[in-house]
Amino acid sequence: MASLAVSLNRLSLANPILVASGTFGYAREMEAFVDFSRLGGIIPKTITPLPRRGNPPPRTVETASGMLNSIGLDNDGIDYFIASHLPYLLSLDTAIIANIAGKDVGEFVSMASRLGQVEGLAGLELNISCPNVSGGVDFGTNPEMAAKVVSAVRSACGLPVIAKLTPNVTSIAAIAQAAAEAGADAVSLVNTFLGMAIDWRKRRPVLGNTLGGLSGPAIKPLALRCVYQVAQNVDVPVIGIGGIASIDDVMEFLVAGASAVQIGTANFYNPGVSETLAGALETCLADIGVESVGAVIGSLS
Amino acid sequence: MVADAGWTTARVVEQRTLAAGTFRLRLHCPEAAARITPGQFFMVRPHGGTDPLLGRPFALYDTIDGQDGSPESIGFVYHVIGKMTSLMSRWTGGEAVEFWGPLGNGFPVPRCRHLMYVGGGIGYTPSLAVAREALGQRAYGSPARSAEQAAERVTLYYGVQSAGQRADLTDLESIDGLTIRIATDDGSEGHPGLVTDLLRESLDGDDPPEAVYCCGPLPMMTAVGRICREADVDCWLSLETPMACGFGACFSCVTRVQTDDPDGWDYRRTCVEGPVFPAAQLVLD
Repeated sequence: MASLAVSLNRLSLANPILVASGTFGYAREMEAFVDFSRLGGIIPKTITPLPRRGNPPPRTVETASGMLNSIGLDNDGIDYFIASHLPYLLSLDTAIIANIAGKDVGEFVSMASRLGQVEGLAGLELNISCPNVSGGVDFGTNPEMAAKVVSAVRSACGLPVIAKLTPNVTSIAAIAQAAAEAGADAVSLVNTFLGMAIDWRKRRPVLGNTLGGLSGPAIKPLALRCVYQVAQNVDVPVIGIGGIASIDDVMEFLVAGASAVQIGTANFYNPGVSETLAGALETCLADIGVESVGAVIGSLS
Repeated sequence: MVADAGWTTARVVEQRTLAAGTFRLRLHCPEAAARITPGQFFMVRPHGGTDPLLGRPFALYDTIDGQDGSPESIGFVYHVIGKMTSLMSRWTGGEAVEFWGPLGNGFPVPRCRHLMYVGGGIGYTPSLAVAREALGQRAYGSPARSAEQAAERVTLYYGVQSAGQRADLTDLESIDGLTIRIATDDGSEGHPGLVTDLLRESLDGDDPPEAVYCCGPLPMMTAVGRICREADVDCWLSLETPMACGFGACFSCVTRVQTDDPDGWDYRRTCVEGPVFPAAQLVLD
């Protein structure tokens, strides 16, 4: 049997199949559908220092082979997360990577230092790429700001750090490079593409917050391009995200240079898909006769 | 607040037209059929493919027993409004579809003598299972839930735009103890005007309902919630909000619920905390 374990600098995972923040709730919502121990890891929904109500509904709308969302980081804040979600999450037999978002470097640092004291967390993912919250996106579109937040978080805690990047930039490789130089253990990409839906009869945007982030199979070729560009140009492990729903999708991202992947929107319409893909990866690697998943990563010729 | 649901492949058993653009579909899904209760919902999408992508939520109409006498399939009624429902309307039987449920809380077990259901448009459909359960004529859920004492009567007030759009009510008309009154906006059938006129009339009459269940367009539910609050009658509203997953992961389907927060409300997920809420808990405006 092929070895599925992957190491992304200080972050070690039993297999490369993760679930993306914002698509898996706080895991409890998925327990009827998924055997969590089969996953490489879980990234729960983004948390912020204080509770946030989020954006006015409608918050999602389906588009051709995809969906737009503008949830607005609806969450109960880090205190509630630590008290009420983390004990459950850390009881699961898989890596838990907390995803945090702050308005400024100070907020990222204070959350990172608190979570750094929690026994059992596998890592931190920095959401510097949410398109639906003003303030957050600056970190992800400006290389200097991205570097500043990554390096501050690294100093504030001993956990492996992943920077989650937005594709809504001219050069995603430049942002990835800055995050890598600042000490990110890995970069995850892509967050959603900024988009819009209009109800022309009403002359109104469909989403309550006007703009939203596009995800799902529709963005897969775009995401694959981003992963390829970063993997080709930057010396940092990449976690691929964007429309992954089948084992072929997983393999394409690995071949393009991703060391791991996150399953996102597919969780909404096939809640057991992450577990299915972890099993399918094992079978696929056996079928092609490789000894480890590492033999596939970045094997594009 | 956690979905206790399964994801499975269900097979289309049959489809019937109930009105222009309104269809009754039955799916073979014994596990969910055995567990679902009135007012709960489930998600349906075609097998494979990515357009349409997400599941669509549908409320229970009724469960149907198999030859062994236990629930074997789930019926629901839908109106064609978009891409998914157009596609569904062409299903004829035998199709494999993706199904997850039961989801949401559903209506509480009725504890009253006279229960009223106010339904607007396609929102009338949960009333069938509600009435059958309230009147003690069918049990739902596993273990089967039932009222300590069956209701003596259930009234359905059903509001539609015009007679041409109202669904075939044969399934409901056969329920002993259920009284149906129709209101049409254009006066083409039954009471000319709003279904809330009928509700007011009943609340002022000799045999007012002790509880009101309601599902329909938001303005109608808001009005029903207000009227019941003024009359001090218990009222539950079943909300329909756009949702992506149905089991609490996406945080799309939020509605404003009164809380202890500084502003007095917070968004709550309709799929796991609802879809049925006591009207008194909601922020209705």
